[in-house]
Amino acid sequence: MTPLDHYPVIDLGPLMRGLVIGGLGIFHVFLAQFAIGGGMLLCYLQWLHMQGDCRLARRFTDDYFKLLVLVSFVLGAVTGVAMWFTSIQISPRTIGTMVREFHWVWATEWTFFCLEVVAGYLFYRYGSRLPDRTRLQLLALYAFASWMSLFWINGILSWQLTPGTWLETRDVWAGFFNPGFLPSLIFRTISAAAIAALAACTLVNAVPGFTREERQSLVAICARPLVFMLAMPLVGAWYLGTMPADSRGWATGGSVPMTLFLTMAVGSSTLIGLYAILAILRQRLFVNGATASLLLALAFVATAGGEFVREGVRKPFTIREYLYSNSIARDGVADLRRRGSTADDPYPLRDQAHYPNEQLVLGAKVFRAQCSVCHTLDGMNAVAELAATWSIDQRRLNIAQLQRTKPFMPPFAGTPAEVEAIVQLIGWRHAGRPPGWAVSDDPAVLSQIERWLDEAGTGPGDARLVVGARLP
Amino acid sequence: MNTLFPLGLPAATAFYLCLYLATLVVHLVFMHYVLAGSIYLAVGRVMGRARCQACNWQSIIVDWLPFATGLAITAGVGPLLFAQILYGREFATANLLLSHRWMAILPVLIVCFYLLYLQKSAWIARRAWAWRPAIAATACAGFLFIAWSWTENHLLMLDRAAWPGMYATSSLWYESAGVLPRLAAWCFVAFPSLAIELAWQGRLLGDRLDEPAAANTRVLGLSPVRRLAVTALSGWAGTLLAAWAYWPAIPAAARTAITGPLGGPWLIMAAMALVMQIVAWSITLVSERLTRGMLIVMTAAWVTTLLGIAVLRETIRLAAVDLATGKELHQTALGIGGLPVFLLFAVLNAVAIGWCIRTVRGQLATRSDGT
Ligand code: HEM
Repeated sequence: MTPLDHYPVIDLGPLMRGLVIGGLGIFHVFLAQFAIGGGMLLCYLQWLHMQGDCRLARRFTDDYFKLLVLVSFVLGAVTGVAMWFTSIQISPRTIGTMVREFHWVWATEWTFFCLEVVAGYLFYRYGSRLPDRTRLQLLALYAFASWMSLFWINGILSWQLTPGTWLETRDVWAGFFNPGFLPSLIFRTISAAAIAALAACTLVNAVPGFTREERQSLVAICARPLVFMLAMPLVGAWYLGTMPADSRGWATGGSVPMTLFLTMAVGSSTLIGLYAILAILRQRLFVNGATASLLLALAFVATAGGEFVREGVRKPFTIREYLYSNSIARDGVADLRRRGSTADDPYPLRDQAHYPNEQLVLGAKVFRAQCSVCHTLDGMNAVAELAATWSIDQRRLNIAQLQRTKPFMPPFAGTPAEVEAIVQLIGWRHAGRPPGWAVSDDPAVLSQIERWLDEAGTGPGDARLVVGARLP
Repeated sequence: MNTLFPLGLPAATAFYLCLYLATLVVHLVFMHYVLAGSIYLAVGRVMGRARCQACNWQSIIVDWLPFATGLAITAGVGPLLFAQILYGREFATANLLLSHRWMAILPVLIVCFYLLYLQKSAWIARRAWAWRPAIAATACAGFLFIAWSWTENHLLMLDRAAWPGMYATSSLWYESAGVLPRLAAWCFVAFPSLAIELAWQGRLLGDRLDEPAAANTRVLGLSPVRRLAVTALSGWAGTLLAAWAYWPAIPAAARTAITGPLGGPWLIMAAMALVMQIVAWSITLVSERLTRGMLIVMTAAWVTTLLGIAVLRETIRLAAVDLATGKELHQTALGIGGLPVFLLFAVLNAVAIGWCIRTVRGQLATRSDGT
């Protein structure tokens, strides 16, 4: 495995690249979970209809399915492809590794997509002309196929955080059935059921032709899957328990944004759960369109919080203990410390002419290769801002010992000259980018940086990770 | 490069290439329907309400385009996966260089997809006719943009020397003499596919293509079957013209690969199948009848041509990329477990899909018989 593969790095201006994938991920996950839960709910409704337990179920199923097709077949499918393409834009090496290691799993998932599309479309197109039994069979196949797509992708996504014994064996199934697989699958299944139930409650109020009593009885039925939310705290705790200790630490107080996002997710889910169980299911209160939409919006907030935490707590890795967030191989840092991280970079800087000297050009290239996935120079999470109050030696030390400065950052993977180049770049930008800037090449400074680099070592900053599993 | 594709290639590379090509051909089948269908519709809509109403093909296209788009997208995932195994670095680099331009295909696809649903909605039925050509033209422009982006991305993948320079200029457009003729070839070749697909759809929906057409089904004096023949034949004429324009833009090494031992036999096979189609469509054009037997022959020739085109397209790429590095990666990938699971579920899900289609057809037939 090469320490670092150079790809052209996209420029999103003031936006952090890492945030983009998180932002799109929330949308996609929400839509996908709606589709998965929707399939299960519709099966249930169709079954109730066949049992004679809900005379409105068949009609509502047809209305709901139209929405499902319009949302899931279009937005769900295209945002799924968008996730893939966005991953390439943000970290081609991460998605490349995922595809390589799990391509048969992905290919298997694809066969389920095909089944989902065909069964779903046949139901959408001909469902109203089919007998109940066939309707149920189609819905069951649709629901099963969409849940299976969750099953497969969940193994790959949970592997990123908890690769388990894959690190030693490189066995695809050891990676797939990793420690986080089961709690994450159950958690996502419950979320899917809850989102679909809330969407149904919203839709019951939106489609014309039902009386208030009919709406009330449909809401009472559609809200039933919300009862599974009672298991969320337990499954959530189980999931947290399977996370590496440092990742858990970020989410439970170690990192303020991560903790806030987790609180947001837990808080929103608790509110939905309490309202659903106490008001809708126990007291049988009527849920109007506004309330249902609000609950659905809260579910979106919960999904957003959860997805940010899931993306965030992997830091400093994108694939735990294997690939750092900046796509540098964990076991490649030592090599890059000798060779430098930009030596093989074939891509010039786009604004190369604006830099007064070669050292700043180098600094900008190092920044692009090692930092730009999480930082900008002047926009969000800007390095120039973060290091604004540091003295020059503090900058040298903190960058050379990046993993100690903040353990969710990877170790610096370059030469002392590269550290100095980036220090100078920050200084130059802070000074308002003057047209002239002296080159800093004092050998004493460089050897001090080298000592700092050596002192911090080439592993991650958190002590728990240093003694953690190693690559074969 | 001196042996018939894929025989001379390393085993792992050949294996992934075959999977890639098989899945790509499926993508082409649906993508052609979407691309040619949306152009057909946009042109048809401009010709006015009366002609549109007389044209059964337009009704079928309006009705089925959304599903075909869903299938084209789903079928695109297969080759996307294998293309990343085979040419991961090249594919990702081209994506990154085209950057926002490339990513724009996704919102465009969403908009086009919804426009297709809008075209068959009750909403549009209540609107003035002018809405239909406008919506059809917008969707068509969107799909053309997507096809163009795929073509540009593909050609950029092959032009490693251009990468640093393109990055330096921040240009979001890859300018190459090959882009336009190649895109034109994709657009034209989609029409013969559309013609065959529509013929099958017509048959399955009960159209008697082997009988004389009723007067009220003629458009511009052409019967439905003749319209299909004209569609297919003009599609092939356009494809050959575009291929002729594209030829000089293909690097010399790739041209040799196409005509040499690697691609030559495939070229001959595709050409023979093409001639068969042209003959079959010409007979159909004259006779105004399309029998089931003739359609089966055409379909077999069409699939053969598509496969030939896909292989020739690949020989161009093989001549441009560095297979030596790829070889090891493909070998490593093949050593990773999971293939039996894929095969198992591929078969099971194919059976399940077949079962769904059969059951629904059976039930609908039973209902329409009144039994
Ligand atoms: C319906 C909209 C689409 C259209 C009109 C379209 C069109 C095309 C065209 C024209 C090509 C050939 C490019 C060339 O060789 O020059 C192509 C190839 C391809 N398409 Fe599609 N496409 C569409 C959607 C998709 C989607 C959504 C995906 C992915 C899920 C996809 C996956 C692929 C792949 C993997 C290739 C082969 C690329 C390569 O090997 O370089 N397509 N498409």
